[in-house]
Amino acid sequence: MSAQFPNFIIIDDSRLDCFIAEKIIQNSGTYSSIKTYMDASQAYEDIKNGDIGDDSIITIIILDIQMPVMNGFQFVEVFEMLPKEIQSKFVIFLFSSSINENDKNRLGNYPSIIRFYSKPISKDTIAQIIEQI
Amino acid sequence: MEKQEKIKILYVDDEINNLTGFKASFRMNYNIMIAVNATDAMQHLSSHPDIRVIFCDQRMPGKTGVQFFEEIRSRYPKPIRILLTGYTDIDSVIDSINLGHVFRYIKKPWADDDILGAINEANKFYVSNSLLAVKNEELQRAYNELDKFSYSVTHDMRGPLLSILGAIEAAQHMDDINEIRKMLMMMKDSVRNLDDFIQSIHDYYNLNRGELEIKEINFNELVKEQIEIFNFTYLMSDVTFNTNIIQKETFRADVLSVKLILNNLLSNAFKYQKKDNKNKAVDLNILVENGYAVIDVIDNGVGIAENYLGDIFNMFFRASTQDVGSGFGLYNVKAAVTKLNGKITVDSEINKGTHFKVLIQNK
Repeated sequence: MSAQFPNFIIIDDSRLDCFIAEKIIQNSGTYSSIKTYMDASQAYEDIKNGDIGDDSIITIIILDIQMPVMNGFQFVEVFEMLPKEIQSKFVIFLFSSSINENDKNRLGNYPSIIRFYSKPISKDTIAQIIEQI
Repeated sequence: MEKQEKIKILYVDDEINNLTGFKASFRMNYNIMIAVNATDAMQHLSSHPDIRVIFCDQRMPGKTGVQFFEEIRSRYPKPIRILLTGYTDIDSVIDSINLGHVFRYIKKPWADDDILGAINEANKFYVSNSLLAVKNEELQRAYNELDKFSYSVTHDMRGPLLSILGAIEAAQHMDDINEIRKMLMMMKDSVRNLDDFIQSIHDYYNLNRGELEIKEINFNELVKEQIEIFNFTYLMSDVTFNTNIIQKETFRADVLSVKLILNNLLSNAFKYQKKDNKNKAVDLNILVENGYAVIDVIDNGVGIAENYLGDIFNMFFRASTQDVGSGFGLYNVKAAVTKLNGKITVDSEINKGTHFKVLIQNK
């Protein structure tokens, strides 16, 4: 395994879910940095402006689906319109407490989404994610 | 009762004398249309889709009454079919029932009372069938709504529960008591959100199914009671709350709806404050006069972006990332205002605040 662990961005409108994900990732020890956003549009702005993201280490985005103002899918849609050299610094994992058939079928349309996971996030999920990248 | 339009009845027979006799006898009470053959009958049916009863002679050249009924049944299923015949052969009776699905079988020459009785029964049957069709349509719509509703509700109830589950999992690997306390506070918020949401569903159900309960309302007491019961204290801690209630006359309205409106508008006003504002304030003004109650709820909080103002009364719509709302509150407020035949308007500017104005009529 590479010596350098990935960066993490958590995007979730629930303060508690952000906190939990942060703690679980911290406990895993397999990270270089963690940043949380409760507003997906703010995360998008920071990614677009290059305020976040690393040239040498991949950044994993833990993304909630149901959020007000900008939901998970809307985020992915604008993300996939960014220049390739920005996109290539990130991989996206989608999280939700439930998903309907429509949304499940939509997953295939977004190449930047690696996988969908049901909430709550656990240390096993983080281990799986690290293995997949 | 309103004057009802005459029931439309079609009579098909190849003998002109029968047709004119029939029309003469019954045209006072019914709108009688006559046809000498199947082609004419079809024309009547296509231009009058609301024909309720069709009488048809069995023996006609080219086509029997049973054949005619069999032919039109799939295209015009609604009119009630009655067969008239001078010949009482059992085979045609069996055919008329099995193939033509006739409602009644009347012997020629007819007695007027038999015809009147048959029309009466046929009309009752027609009306209950049509009602059933309308009810079925309503039911289908309700089912579709329920599907959407149950998906959203399931998601919104599982959300907080799964958060708490995740928190319990995370807590098992945490040693710092301060961190654990911090998480417990957030878990408390999650529980509270879930409870609010369940309360909103209860409100939603009451608004849609419940009867109006018109009672006298003393706004001073009602506001006091709301603030105590709904425990705004956790939201109100650093917000200045000003009330100005002027009630010049007795006011009567559905109490539950009025409570729901006040409760939701106030809790929103307290919830959506700017965190760093030193002078957080909520004003509640109620003026009751000239047969109306005007309720103003004004805050200097985060405000609502102009492009969302049109959507805030929609179910499950949330305009803010600041606090976890149910997306149900303002939907219920709107439903309650509508139930009271009232009006609600909103005026808001981002970072300046929001002003809701509700107008309710005295009952």
